[in-house]
Amino acid sequence: MNVPATPLTISRFRSTAASVRLSVLQFVADPQWLIPSMIAPIIFGIVAYQLVLGSGPYFVVYAILGAGMMSMWGQTLYGSGWATGQDRVFGTLEPTLQAPTPYVYVVLGRILWNVVSGLVGGAIVYVVVVAESGQIPAVVNPLLFVVLFLFVMVTLASVGVILSAFYVYTRFAGFIQNIGEFAFYVGTGCMFPVIFLPWWTNPVSLVFPPTWALDALRYGSIPGYQGFAWGFGWDLVGAVATMTVYLVLAGLVFHRVERHVLEVGTLGDY
Amino acid sequence: MATTEAAAVVRARPTFWRNFWTNAILSPRTTLGFMRIDFVLGTIFVIPLMQILFFALTVQLGNGGASGIAFVAVGNAVATVTYPSIFSVCQTTDSEKEQGTMEHLLVSPAPRFPMYVGRGLIPILISLATVTVGLVYAVLFFGVQIAAGSIPFLAVSVILSAFAMVGFGLLLGGIALYLRSSIVLGNIFLFIGLIVSGVNFSVSALPLPVQLIGYVFPLTWGLAAVRASISGDSLATVGPLWLIIVLTGAVAVGLAMGLWRNFERRAFSTGSIVRF
Repeated sequence: MNVPATPLTISRFRSTAASVRLSVLQFVADPQWLIPSMIAPIIFGIVAYQLVLGSGPYFVVYAILGAGMMSMWGQTLYGSGWATGQDRVFGTLEPTLQAPTPYVYVVLGRILWNVVSGLVGGAIVYVVVVAESGQIPAVVNPLLFVVLFLFVMVTLASVGVILSAFYVYTRFAGFIQNIGEFAFYVGTGCMFPVIFLPWWTNPVSLVFPPTWALDALRYGSIPGYQGFAWGFGWDLVGAVATMTVYLVLAGLVFHRVERHVLEVGTLGDY
Repeated sequence: MATTEAAAVVRARPTFWRNFWTNAILSPRTTLGFMRIDFVLGTIFVIPLMQILFFALTVQLGNGGASGIAFVAVGNAVATVTYPSIFSVCQTTDSEKEQGTMEHLLVSPAPRFPMYVGRGLIPILISLATVTVGLVYAVLFFGVQIAAGSIPFLAVSVILSAFAMVGFGLLLGGIALYLRSSIVLGNIFLFIGLIVSGVNFSVSALPLPVQLIGYVFPLTWGLAAVRASISGDSLATVGPLWLIIVLTGAVAVGLAMGLWRNFERRAFSTGSIVRF
């Protein structure tokens, strides 16, 4: 049965499309987005490659994966947080939340653009690291690698959605962005297996869907990879499960946040 | 009468030190207003640990061994100086523009040197704290050994590096006066040191042109002095490095003042300096 497109659906779709368009325009107009999405990951990719140089053909994959994930994460963290923070500074957060379209559809547009620009950043990192190493990274199953890489991006996006909801409440988005950046890179093991970290930190790492997804990606693409003992399959299950929890939570939080900030009227304070 | 008025004007002009201290004390609430206490504490205590951990575990991944881990631990402990010194100082220009105080600043008769250098005082203190905490982490968790006898040289190296890096931050702030935003500039120099300054691998491992770029940065020399101090090198080895750090810092501040003067002149002629 076909569901007819109601005016409400069309309105929400238009809001998301407008949000994507605005995100693209802001990206082009304000070059600071190049930092988290491209400049920093490229530098980290080059440094990481130098540090694992000579360790074997599969170690290039670590550098590319880590830096590529940083690119996407930078876009997610900065894009989501900065946009909400800037809305607050410019005074557009209140009218946006008062509009009939739920705020989550605006955020969705930003997240979509973050995914796209993160992938572009990841591709640039790939080219730079491959150019530096002079070799195409050895990957067991390239198709599986691409699919799982996209999956990692989706799990990152789920973190972005819940952060966006949180950023509506908090005035500490800048703190989370700047201070939390390295902590997230370390905690999710974006450049190295999480099992390198002390065992007691693993539960914290496993709260984040990308930790599971990255472990699965490495299991699928690096022969002899030593990650979590439960292996590839359960990594995928864990990633899907945590991501689902994130999305459900984000939906609930957005709904509650919108109601709460409209009641207390402190949304524009910063 | 005219003499009395002139004397009053002279008395009303802020002195060098008053200007310096006023800017030093007020900057955390004005141009450095984004550096709230949570931000400062995070910069001092969280960033050094996480940055060192990140690169140390990457070295572990590449089977770099204990010496490799100690090398990046010291390098990144010192490199965290760039957050408060370069990134924060560089952003003061943006803060002036966004807060709408740039025009007032440009028409003010206050001498520029104490004003800009005064703003760097708090970042210098935060830089010192950040590097110190980073080195403590390096010793406690990453196997770096620092002999008690080398601490005086190490302290001088860290202090000079912090001053020089803030000078470099002021230089970038001067360039940022002409730019729409300083964030890109600040971030590029925030990260580029990781490659060119010998933070994670020796400068000598880099291609010659990149080495030459690295030698322009105070961080490169500061890090060399810190490593030499930890190794227990003599004054004959560390002294010249200190001189170069001072020189790079002084050149950076001198260039910053020149840039500010130049861009102020342009600002008056074009009236577009505060656009952002």
